[in-house]
Amino acid sequence: MSRFFDQSSSSESDTDSETPVVEQRPRPVTRQIPTYESDDDRRQRVVLPERTKRVEEINEFVKQLKNAKNIKDVVKASEVFEDMVKAYEKCKKIVEKEGHFKHYIRSIAELETHINELWADNDWRKSASKNNSGALSKLRQRIRKYNKDYEKEIAEFRANPDQYPEEEKVDMGSGRGGGAGGAKGRGGDDESDEDEDESESEEESESEESDEDEKPRRKSAKVKRVKNEDDEDEDEDESDEWSESESDETTSSDEIDYDQKDVWKHFLKTDKTAEKTGKKDKVKAPRKRDHKREQVQAESDQESEKPKIEKKLFGKEDEINHVTVLNKLNEICSSRGRKGTDRYEQIELIKELRVISKTHNLGPAMDVKIVFNLIAISFDYNARTTTCIKPEVWAECLKYLDEIIAALMENPDIEFSEAISDEDENLGQDKTKPYRIRGCVVTMTDRMYEEFIRILQQCDAHGSEYVERLKDEPKICRIIDLLQTYVERRDDKQQMCRIYLKKVENMYYKYDKNNEKKSAETVDRLCKFIYKNDSTDRLRTKAILCHIYHNALHDRWFEARDLILMSHLQESIDNSDIPLQILYNRTMVQVGLCAFRVGNIKESHSALLDIQVGNRAKELLAQGVMVQRNVEKSKEQEIKERQRLIPFHMHINLELLECVYLVSAMLIEIPFMCSRDFETKKRLISKQFHYQLKFSERQPVVGPPENMREHVVAASRAMRNGDWRACIAYLVNEKMNAKVWDLMPQSSNVKHMLTEKVKEESMRTYLFRYSTIYDSVSVESLAHMFDLAKSHVYSIISKMIINEELMASLDEPTQTVVMHRTEPTKLQTLAQQLSEKINNLMDQTERMVQIKGGEMGPFLPRNQQGQQNQQNQNQNREHKQKNYKNDRRQHHQKNQHHQQQHQHQNQQHQQQQQQQQQLQAQEQ
Amino acid sequence: MLSFQLIASPTRFPMPPPVQYPLLSLHPPPPPTNPSIPSPETAMAEHDLTASVAAWMDPHLVLPVLEFLQERGVYADEEILRGKIRLLGGTNMVDYAMDIHKSLHGTDEVPADMVARRSEVVERLRALQEAVAPIVAFLSSPQLVQELHADKQYNLHMLQERHHIGPDQIEALYQYAKFQYECGMYSDAADFLSQYRALCTNSERSLSALWGKLAAEILMQNWDVAQEELNRLKEMIDSSSFTSSPVNQLHSRIWLMHWSLFIFFNHENGRNGIIDLFFQDRYLNAIQTNAPHLLRYLAAAVVVNKRRRNMLKELIKVIQQEQNIYKDPIIEFLECLYVKYDFDGAQQKLVECEQVILNDPFLGKRVEERNGIAVPLRDEFLENARLFIFETYCRIHRCIDIGVLAEKMNMTYDEAELWIMNMVKSSKLDAKIDSVTGTLIMTTNRVDVHEQIIESMKNLNARTYMLAKSVVDPGHAAAQQAAR
Repeated sequence: MSRFFDQSSSSESDTDSETPVVEQRPRPVTRQIPTYESDDDRRQRVVLPERTKRVEEINEFVKQLKNAKNIKDVVKASEVFEDMVKAYEKCKKIVEKEGHFKHYIRSIAELETHINELWADNDWRKSASKNNSGALSKLRQRIRKYNKDYEKEIAEFRANPDQYPEEEKVDMGSGRGGGAGGAKGRGGDDESDEDEDESESEEESESEESDEDEKPRRKSAKVKRVKNEDDEDEDEDESDEWSESESDETTSSDEIDYDQKDVWKHFLKTDKTAEKTGKKDKVKAPRKRDHKREQVQAESDQESEKPKIEKKLFGKEDEINHVTVLNKLNEICSSRGRKGTDRYEQIELIKELRVISKTHNLGPAMDVKIVFNLIAISFDYNARTTTCIKPEVWAECLKYLDEIIAALMENPDIEFSEAISDEDENLGQDKTKPYRIRGCVVTMTDRMYEEFIRILQQCDAHGSEYVERLKDEPKICRIIDLLQTYVERRDDKQQMCRIYLKKVENMYYKYDKNNEKKSAETVDRLCKFIYKNDSTDRLRTKAILCHIYHNALHDRWFEARDLILMSHLQESIDNSDIPLQILYNRTMVQVGLCAFRVGNIKESHSALLDIQVGNRAKELLAQGVMVQRNVEKSKEQEIKERQRLIPFHMHINLELLECVYLVSAMLIEIPFMCSRDFETKKRLISKQFHYQLKFSERQPVVGPPENMREHVVAASRAMRNGDWRACIAYLVNEKMNAKVWDLMPQSSNVKHMLTEKVKEESMRTYLFRYSTIYDSVSVESLAHMFDLAKSHVYSIISKMIINEELMASLDEPTQTVVMHRTEPTKLQTLAQQLSEKINNLMDQTERMVQIKGGEMGPFLPRNQQGQQNQQNQNQNREHKQKNYKNDRRQHHQKNQHHQQQHQHQNQQHQQQQQQQQQLQAQEQ
Repeated sequence: MLSFQLIASPTRFPMPPPVQYPLLSLHPPPPPTNPSIPSPETAMAEHDLTASVAAWMDPHLVLPVLEFLQERGVYADEEILRGKIRLLGGTNMVDYAMDIHKSLHGTDEVPADMVARRSEVVERLRALQEAVAPIVAFLSSPQLVQELHADKQYNLHMLQERHHIGPDQIEALYQYAKFQYECGMYSDAADFLSQYRALCTNSERSLSALWGKLAAEILMQNWDVAQEELNRLKEMIDSSSFTSSPVNQLHSRIWLMHWSLFIFFNHENGRNGIIDLFFQDRYLNAIQTNAPHLLRYLAAAVVVNKRRRNMLKELIKVIQQEQNIYKDPIIEFLECLYVKYDFDGAQQKLVECEQVILNDPFLGKRVEERNGIAVPLRDEFLENARLFIFETYCRIHRCIDIGVLAEKMNMTYDEAELWIMNMVKSSKLDAKIDSVTGTLIMTTNRVDVHEQIIESMKNLNARTYMLAKSVVDPGHAAAQQAAR
């Protein structure tokens, strides 16, 4: 153990006399790292935080319990007891390792005795409040039961209570007051805890003050620094400067914090009255701040003269080797994440440590280890999880990461993996063995990427800052590429999968204008590797989705479709986590857009339907937080949602999305509506589209279309009249081009496709609507009217005839379509409706009687059997189709699910009926 | 361990194509110097599936395919012979390979490696014969074989006890059978393999033996037996106890389908069989994911099979889904007819179909008849395809010029008229011929609304009566039922 530590923790005067040179520098630093009495303590220290925390927790409860006992508040006691039991559950791991906490056993044993005493005390019970006595009986039973599990321990405790302290010592620095003087010790603890809490609030105000105090001083320090830092490069200087101001705040505030810690140290050690020492220390505080200022100066001095730094971290005579440096590093890291740790200080210390290790040639492994920890601590810099780290810090981390990877590349003998335990690490202590370091550079990169996304999320997407930040993106891409080469060289399959996925995630949403093939090949190769080698399902799912997205983005419709269908994700996506669902939604949207561009209107519609249906596209794609009426969101929910948001440069244009959806709905819905003029029940294919139509119908005056929706509605109206020229004019014009079509990469192709589709569907609509007026139409005139090739018209009409949509037939010699005039008259339609309704009524009544009677009455007449058989067959076939690779309905699994259920019920019902029929047939 | 199957690399989902069998890199011969006139060879080879089919077959099974191609002259002779030699390199049929080599190079010399291989094979044969001698002796005596029971464990025990035939000998039997198969002694191999299966306890081995048996039976053209083996194998593959990965299962199915082509296009009931097998969900899936070229055979079978007309719709659906992956004239014919309603296109494709069928080793099977060689499947296909065109045409049209129709169906006017007359006479077609204008006039029968309504209301009376009865007197109804 370095002599230095002993000194600092013992007394100041000693240090002064012995090593005047180090006099002031070490003190502030060491004070901020918790110091240790012995080697032993420190070694434990590394693994202890968890245990310490738990022990303290239990201590706290023990205290509360004692208080409750003193005032005989049984209600409180039982509450505390339950909490304590819960807290103790958490300690299970530790307990398994070390056996039960002695103070815990003591506490529960004492509680039992206490309760039993109270139980026996009839007077008290009489006088006690109802609540109390009720709680007493409950608690009595509860603890009796509970303590049964600990019978042995309790018996042991009763045998020799001396060995069971009331509270466990917490191994922290000099330790808290040992078993002795329980009450006092506890009191002290309390106070210090409170103090700590208070200090947080005080921190800020005081730090402001001190800041002002220091201003002039700092200036001078800076001047000195500039002089001394000639050899430092520019950007480092910048970051230093930035952190400098930070340091002043934090260090000074921290000092106060530590002063107060000192309060309880003194207090515990000397066991004297708390107030006195406390006051004394507080008086001392300002003086220490003076030291601090000097230290700032000193630090700037040290930057230029390296040997001095060692003295700061190590004593003069200390040998600097792997072990000591590693110990130091652990020491610094162990204070990570604790209250009152000065994060800036930590970063600085590690940086210095790195310099030391470099000057002493401790090898690349040590360097990697130190830098690795440096990055980890930098990430901690911001305590709150909701905010991002500063871009500057991020950039610095990126630089370090780059260094790590470079070092790893240079030294292929370094084994760097998470699987290596702390004990197995070899940073060069043992020259014979290869280097082994614990850690995972891929995880670190993941973290960097996440942090990058977070930074982007915090920026205003439309500001120039966003663009600035986005410029960092190539840097992280470069890191990923580097890492890829490194990991590939190591040939670790799982790691490769991870880094490949990262790369794919970085690529999939980018449209590759120039050499489409290249990116496609890369994505394809990487994804296939992941499919093959990934052992976790999550990576694979993500990779598939990215793969589909990338294919869809580049209009490779068939590949995208086949991948979706092969993945069977529609079935399981509901069970996965939200980010994955968001990715799924994005993918489906992109697939829908792709289908539209390729001209598969139906597919496009069904893919987009789910996203568009509730007007929640923005939310479903995580491109913004929706404020919904009637739905109150808690703050946490909103924060979570915000965290999930996709950065702006990855967004899918929502207007484009809606437009594509509405147009495809129009192309499907308008002919459908016109063909169903005679039907009673009007089925809607797209509710949203109908809503838009109705909305425009309600307008008293319809003006020229302004926005995208109005354009589509106007186009629909034109299409309904069979006027394809007007329809296309509404859809493709300058306004729409600017808003929608030009956003697509091959807009001219899309427009052409759209024109063709509009022609076709207009013709269909026209035929549906006006076939009653014609006796016959010549194919030629139709072709002329809709500007289509004759053969095309021919094929469309043939299709309509075969599908029995159009009651007509072709007359080959004259090339005309002859209408059959089967359209029923009004009266006939009504009669049909009537008969349908009566039949329905009959069915329902029968069903009711069946249910009531519990009998399966043989009511259905025989000649319906045939029909039903057919229906059944049809349904069976539909079922089968569903299993086929390509059932479109798989696209929206939710709907399908419902349908399936519904169908299933139907089928069951029909099977029942069939059974009845068979029965009947047999009977007769 | 050697296996009868070709080993395709097992990979997980999205499957890469199976490993191309190295022996078969059949490339069409280089184009002739004048590119404007394609040589008949290239035109024929255009739709040849041999390469993709052979990837899923055992080398021995590919041999007959190559033989067929040689006969048809789809590829240059040399190419085929070279392919054969490469193919035989993996088998033990060294003598055959030597013969081919001789005829290919026109010399009597044989390369040294072939000679070496020959002696190697002979040596191995000796060794194996020695190893299996006891068990073969046992199996060849009918009395001893009768001692075997249905219980495998008992048999093994008995063999061990009384005849000193242990697992080693049984294993040798398998090896020997395999060796025989490799040498082209299929009937011996088949016998040994079935005997081996009776004794074998290792399920994996048993499966492998079954594959071998199937191949042997196919090669001996015992279609009935082969069909049985096929069904057995299919059951094993589909059973839940099929232990290997889903990918393996998928690959096995594809193998099975390819091998089954031999049987289905030769067995008398094969055309139903192929539809039954290929339209099963799992098999159809397998086709769609990994072997879309099988759609050709499925399509041909559906067209030819009159009784399975109802599968047509399904087939069309599949074809549309796979249009980006696989295309050939037969598929395109159906697409033209049922998707695009392009009769001229269908007509063109039909001509191409004929060529494809003639050059396909499975579809173009030839039968010797009195007046020459006939390809039965081609005739049936053309006949049915014509019917398809005609039917669809009639459904759409009211009045058809017979001349145009004849052209669409690839017939002369008189032929067409005769054909239509027969149709009308046999009341398959509800139409009349107007011979003055040379048109066919369809009689359209539309459903009358009145009839519809009456039909739907017809039974209400009876139903209501029954209902009322059971409501008023449920006891009576129950009693009635009980009485019956």
